[in-house]
Amino acid sequence: MAGSETRDRLTADVYDIPRRRAFVELGDDDLARLAALRPLAEAHIDRLVDDFYELLLGQPDTRRFFPDAHVIERVKRSQRAYFLGLFDGKVDEAYVDDRLRVGAVHERIGLAPKWYLGAYRRQLRLLLDLLFSGVPDPVEARAAFASLQKLVFFDMTLAIDAYIVARDDALERHQTALRELSTPVIRVHHGVLLLPLVGTVDSLRAEQVMDTVLVRIVEEQARVLILDIAGVPVVDTRVAEHLLQTTQAVRLLGCEAILTGISAHVARTLVQLGVEIATMPTRARLAEGIELALAIVGKRIAPAGAGAGSAAEHAGPDGAGRA
Amino acid sequence: MSPIPILRIGTTLLCSVHVELDDALAERLQEDVLGTIERTGATGLVVDISGLETVDSYVARILADTGRMARLMGADTVLAGMRPEVAATLVRMGFPLEGVRAALDLDHGLALLAHGRSGATEGRRPGRTAP
Repeated sequence: MAGSETRDRLTADVYDIPRRRAFVELGDDDLARLAALRPLAEAHIDRLVDDFYELLLGQPDTRRFFPDAHVIERVKRSQRAYFLGLFDGKVDEAYVDDRLRVGAVHERIGLAPKWYLGAYRRQLRLLLDLLFSGVPDPVEARAAFASLQKLVFFDMTLAIDAYIVARDDALERHQTALRELSTPVIRVHHGVLLLPLVGTVDSLRAEQVMDTVLVRIVEEQARVLILDIAGVPVVDTRVAEHLLQTTQAVRLLGCEAILTGISAHVARTLVQLGVEIATMPTRARLAEGIELALAIVGKRIAPAGAGAGSAAEHAGPDGAGRA
Repeated sequence: MSPIPILRIGTTLLCSVHVELDDALAERLQEDVLGTIERTGATGLVVDISGLETVDSYVARILADTGRMARLMGADTVLAGMRPEVAATLVRMGFPLEGVRAALDLDHGLALLAHGRSGATEGRRPGRTAP
């Protein structure tokens, strides 16, 4: 699932193979030169892979990623396929997919790019040894190594992109989770929604709150929204402005907005700052806000067991909950 | 024939906007609505804008003005069914359409009008402050 997301996000850029190849100057001649060396690579592949893992297993930082012989056997097989892939002589979408998988898998198991890049330097050294011992003509060997280097760098840019996208996806998931947690819109009663705001309200969060709340109002066909700010530590001009905007937008949908949870401190601050919030109904406590909200939808809270006769005790919707 | 039909149900006018409003169309709507109120003596108007995906500041102003003008002619006006994204945009543009009565949908809009005629002022009820 995450893999397909990664693929979607990468598609536009990553599958622009000609552009990426041009940037590392990887030409068809390079691929042809490497393809010609495939027999040499095949002849030495086992030793190459063994040497590489000997190096990796000799380092504590990388050894921990290969806990048992079974894992080592498996990664050796894929490493072998990877090495031989360098000498296939073609770079197509399947090749790109394969190279992207390298970064994605590393990110998943927690193998940081520094170890990936560091280990790649070792692979390059082993490949360099192979080329210079297997290609007698030094000019030809040098050209082969230059071609190999281009392809290796092409691979590394893909792996790093895959790392970044995998990390971005994780970050996005966390932010979405956080956003949902920070805007819990609760249905108190038919047509009555409650949004208890807890924590700091900055511009970004205020926008998210507004968008979430407006959509929920329409979904729930809510007639009243109670905005409780008892959990907001600091209410300054900017926060008040955000609250005002939210209530204005709520009203445009045909829903009333009630602001509750206003402490003495907040009330003092708002008046001293000269913030104009007189246009929205406000209550000190949530309980009073709920009573007011119920009055708007034509309901009221009555003592248990109270019959129709007790209705006269209540002042009616306009006076609900007020002395 | 008006591009946006205005229906009359008893003393209430109903118009449902289902095409995007450009400046000219919004002006035309205002003209038609006021003309119809003049002809019919309607006492209520519900404008259903649930079909509008965008409302720019000029169109918003025309809608708000139309409501005020209709009220001068004795017709209470309710704007019904504004989409969340439209409301958010208007408010962010600093255009909260003060004084306009809004309803969740057509049904709610008609209920507001009926309520208004029976003497109560639904829009004011929860307010602590004098109008």
